[in-house]
Amino acid sequence: MKTWILALLSAVALTGCGYNDFQRLDEQTASAWSEVLNQYQRRADLVPNIVATVKGEANFEQDTLTKVVEARAKATSIQVTPETLNNPEAFKKFQAAQGELSGALSRLMVVSERYPELKANKGFSDLRVQLEGTENRITVARNRYIQAVQEYNVLARSFPSNLTAMAFSYQTKPAFAVQNEAAITAPPVVDFNKK
Amino acid sequence: MFVRWLTALLFSLYAVAGGAQGFVQVPALTGRVVDASAVLSSEQRQALEGKLAALETSSGSQVVILMVPSTLPEDIASFGNRVGNTWRIGRKGVGDGLLLIVATSDRKLRFEVAKSLEGAIPDLAAKQIIDEAISPRFKQGDYAGGLDAGVDQIAARIKGEALPVPSQSGASSGGSETFDWQNLIVFVFFGVFMVGSVVRRILGNKLGSVVTGGAVGVLVNMVTGSVLIALFAAFVAMVFVLISSVGSAFRGLGGGGFTGSGSGGGWSSGSDSGVGFSSGGGGDFGGGGASGDW
Repeated sequence: MKTWILALLSAVALTGCGYNDFQRLDEQTASAWSEVLNQYQRRADLVPNIVATVKGEANFEQDTLTKVVEARAKATSIQVTPETLNNPEAFKKFQAAQGELSGALSRLMVVSERYPELKANKGFSDLRVQLEGTENRITVARNRYIQAVQEYNVLARSFPSNLTAMAFSYQTKPAFAVQNEAAITAPPVVDFNKK
Repeated sequence: MFVRWLTALLFSLYAVAGGAQGFVQVPALTGRVVDASAVLSSEQRQALEGKLAALETSSGSQVVILMVPSTLPEDIASFGNRVGNTWRIGRKGVGDGLLLIVATSDRKLRFEVAKSLEGAIPDLAAKQIIDEAISPRFKQGDYAGGLDAGVDQIAARIKGEALPVPSQSGASSGGSETFDWQNLIVFVFFGVFMVGSVVRRILGNKLGSVVTGGAVGVLVNMVTGSVLIALFAAFVAMVFVLISSVGSAFRGLGGGGFTGSGSGGGWSSGSDSGVGFSSGGGGDFGGGGASGDW
């Protein structure tokens, strides 16, 4: 009788400590992270084509173009390993580099509006569609990663599973944050006099 | 697990916060053509639905058209992704769903393509269909014609893709594979009755009820993944078996008695997968597709 109850209790306790959940969620964040990298890579692969097409346009703003090339070089030079996830410093650097590339690319797209020949170029508009699709996929992948990390971190920090996390020294994982928080929260300045 | 409840609570709070920010609610999936902005006549809608239904019977892929007045303040791409992953159209296990969203007063439209159809309809193809088939007709105010032409091109592309053949029993009956709480409760109820009485006879009243309770707890934990529910179920089952043992002891004097005669009508769990259209629940939308305007 006693052994039965003990067996029952230990079974409940083992499923309750969340060890298996940690393994499941760890895998889930890892795969969500791979998807993020995958989409960033896809964008990085598109950039040379975009640059080449834009270069064909005479007297295109050189400054904008150089920034894109530099940002891409920087973003792809960062080595990303699975350990990046457990290293907030490296994660931040990676995020900053990708953010810079996002900024440079969107600037390029805005500037390209001023060049009617470029807009009429079939190759360029195709690349534009692909870039837009890739940016959408990046957004989705990042969202899924954030959700996976949230689930993992809640598990790692709440009782009683935090004891398991302590015993196996599982750390919380970093999530994407908005880079320019200050810029977004500042109210927009509308100036009608400027022209 | 408690943690999962916490996250669920967090997500629901998040959803409430999202609602408070004025994001457009995801409409109910009432059919293959959901016309929330009411620009199609009922004949036009039926013609489109018929076409989409024919596509599903021939290739298995689920295509849904959603027309809303506006998606603002949200971008049509993120709105589309939200709708896609709420409805999850596309066969289970295949995930071949496609969503065409039209925001009539924003004058924007978008193909939201599930991951398994991204090969058949890459972003460029989606953009091309929008620019060449749909937008020109929309510009003339011909919504039905534009949608019709778009669906034709989509159908041609999907048919060119090697997807698993649709099952003969009607691909739209996705309800059969979904988890049915009613069945589970009925099953546990009678299962506890039968197994409980056998176990009790072998192990005796007290131990028998404890073991049955434990077994139910483990089972429920495996199915629902929640310790709280499992403990509750285990407790209820234990009490149940104990009470029924006392009851049957009494009734045993009178002979005969309780023979689960209440099982009558049986299993009809009322899954209303009859006439209408139901999502296969397999679509995974990863942001593929293209947007356009007119």
